[in-house]
Amino acid sequence: MAKPVNVSDASLLKLDRQAVRKRPFGIRKHILLYLMILPGFLYFVVFKYFPMGGLVIAFQDYQPYQGILGSPWVGFKHFVRLFTEPTFFMLLRNTLVLFALNIVVFFPLPIILALMLNEVRHRFFKNSIQTIVYIPHFMSWVIIVSISYVFLTVDGGVLNELLASMGLPKISFLTSPEWVRTVYIGQIIWKELGWSTIIYLAAITVVDTQLYEAADMDGASRLRKTWHVTLPAIRPVIITLLILQIGSTLDLGFEHMYLLLNSLNREVAEIFDTYIYTAGLKNGQLSYSTTVGLFKGVVGLVLVILSNRLAKKLGEDGVY
Amino acid sequence: MNDAKKARKATAALLCSSFLLLSACGGGGSQAASGQPYDENSKATISWLNILHTASPPTDTVLNKIEEKTNADIQFSWIPDASKEERINTALASDSLADVVTLTMLDNSSVRNSLKSGLFWEVDPYLDDYPNLAKISEDTRRSASIDGKLYGVPFQKDLARNGVTIRKDWLDKLGLETPKTTEELMEVARAFTEDDPDGNGKNDTTGFVDRSDLIYGAFKTLSSYFGTPNVWEVSEDGKMTPEFMTEPYIQTMDYMKNLYDNGYINQDFAVTAKTDQQQKFAQGRAGIYVGAIFDSKNLLNMAKGIQDDMELVLVNNITSTGNEADRAIWAANNGIGGLLAFPRSEVKDEAELKRVLKFVNDLMDEETYALMTYGIEGTHYKLDDQGAATILDSDLWQQEVQPFAASRPKESGYDIHDSDPLKQESDKLIAENADYAVLNPAYSLESETYNTQGSELQKMITDATYKYILGEIDRSGFDTAVENWKNSGGAAIISEYEAAYKEIQSQ
Repeated sequence: MAKPVNVSDASLLKLDRQAVRKRPFGIRKHILLYLMILPGFLYFVVFKYFPMGGLVIAFQDYQPYQGILGSPWVGFKHFVRLFTEPTFFMLLRNTLVLFALNIVVFFPLPIILALMLNEVRHRFFKNSIQTIVYIPHFMSWVIIVSISYVFLTVDGGVLNELLASMGLPKISFLTSPEWVRTVYIGQIIWKELGWSTIIYLAAITVVDTQLYEAADMDGASRLRKTWHVTLPAIRPVIITLLILQIGSTLDLGFEHMYLLLNSLNREVAEIFDTYIYTAGLKNGQLSYSTTVGLFKGVVGLVLVILSNRLAKKLGEDGVY
Repeated sequence: MNDAKKARKATAALLCSSFLLLSACGGGGSQAASGQPYDENSKATISWLNILHTASPPTDTVLNKIEEKTNADIQFSWIPDASKEERINTALASDSLADVVTLTMLDNSSVRNSLKSGLFWEVDPYLDDYPNLAKISEDTRRSASIDGKLYGVPFQKDLARNGVTIRKDWLDKLGLETPKTTEELMEVARAFTEDDPDGNGKNDTTGFVDRSDLIYGAFKTLSSYFGTPNVWEVSEDGKMTPEFMTEPYIQTMDYMKNLYDNGYINQDFAVTAKTDQQQKFAQGRAGIYVGAIFDSKNLLNMAKGIQDDMELVLVNNITSTGNEADRAIWAANNGIGGLLAFPRSEVKDEAELKRVLKFVNDLMDEETYALMTYGIEGTHYKLDDQGAATILDSDLWQQEVQPFAASRPKESGYDIHDSDPLKQESDKLIAENADYAVLNPAYSLESETYNTQGSELQKMITDATYKYILGEIDRSGFDTAVENWKNSGGAAIISEYEAAYKEIQSQ
């Protein structure tokens, strides 16, 4: 048993422990700290947790003027409707396909771009590229979809005119079901690529330069260094971002998809978010659309838990 | 001790600030005029949740005059027309309404439900006490009623406002007559596409220019020319048939398909917005516009400086057979533009309701009508001795007056009129249309299935119609979509409407 060097230190420690035992959170002692988190705590309670109570209307035939207390309870009626309607499988398929494309096509791109930018030695060139690619992030989807419309429409669209001048047939990018996913992912890449790169670039800057020096001594090429030094160093960041990305699985961006959606590509472009909007807000079926939203939320939660477990199995920290 | 005091003070401050934040969010919604009873002639404060059809709300110039005339202090909350479903539904759901609420979508299920639930005052018993409101016809009152009850002052719009606008200068140039049949219209579309009507030697024009709207765009109006019923058709023995199960509907789709296949219509019409459509017409890229007849004036305005040779001819007498007797044109919402409704939560008692009704009545006065239509005499328009108004500065008018136009409870039957020949012509044709108007027999009928799933089901048909026109499905594919519609709830809508119709007939 090691004797404490300083008695008063030890007694302080003891007091502290007592305090902890008496009041599990030590509220009195750390009152100022608690006060500091109070506004944030209130924010979450009031704006995030309290509204969750509204989810009960998924089990009701909710009528606004009767309120939650007055509306009749209908059990799982809306869930039955959701799972038995043919739309459900269309929505699920579309949502999952777009999600998979998002992960497979879009997710690796910022990492690759970050690694490439990291190799650029010319400072001015690197900074300007970085700035130029992240500017689109600040544009709204309305602008981006309008720009694409000007480029892609069959009636005088720039791209189609180009195809026509080369003697190729025009392609109806905006109305054919085959193209909507490509357009969707393309727009996401254009808008978000540069912005997502920033986090990876930040992670790369903290990589220990000694590792590179050591690799140099061993005669590693640039590609080797990237593969064996940079990439493993930013692995935790990649995993964390991947889990977060999966968490928002079914949040494919209502605004974006709603703008792309039309009668001719609905079979592949209608996703949960757009369906909730049309069925719920425009059509006033509040209970039913709450059901759809609840289902979407549950699927997202399950996916986060699973991917977090997987990350931990792989020896990473996970997000919680 | 001192520390504890400080901490307590800090807590109080923090709590205060968070409450402040909360209350700031909660406020701003409804602040109904307090409980004091209204005197009919007192100055009233009236809040109005209204739909905005223009890009920006009006400035105060005209508003002040309207307030003077109606002896009221009007506080508008504007909802852009494009997001009205969402905004009105959320306003209804959260009960954040105003003294006067403009409800334009009476076929929307949540609007219907809230009307039926008694959220709004029933006004029928009061209307006859006010000179202008008393003049609202029995027909209009009945059409605007739900389950026989009138829950607001109906907007009195023209019955049928659609027709065809054609470039007269192009017709003349190519030596064509104004078309009277759908076949002739097709020929004009062909000539406008292939015979270089603008004479620039380039193949850069199309006949029609349309937008992604099967109702207010070309499709529905053309369908009337083929004799399609307006949404529903009811037979002698009370059988209901939706329009898309009738032969004329198929003929209209074939006609549109023909236009599309031959390139007589802009190839991207399925994704074109209204403003783009009008731009294309104004830029001289197409020569046939099907929509509201009064859009013609706007089209001509937009073409100023781009297509100065533009002359327009308005046509409302096209048929597929050439027989005058077959003329028909669909009536949007059976001529009901919606309701001005008064929520019980804001308009607390009868006295208050009477004051608000007086306000609506005053809005229908000739002078207020002139204010909301043309603006202030001398500033926005000048009047000649025949009572014809000429807009002085159309930019100023668009900014300060036009936004009010859609809020007029009544749009015709006034002495003052527009001096613009195109506007006069379109007014004349719209008035003429009323004689040929086709009504929707199911408009005021109730169907539970329609209320819950109606628009989802309608989407199936809309999608199939587009696909048929663009050649992605054929007739059997369309029939499959109709079968699907029936099986997913359409059959229930039909039988519910038939039952409701029978009940009304037997009364």
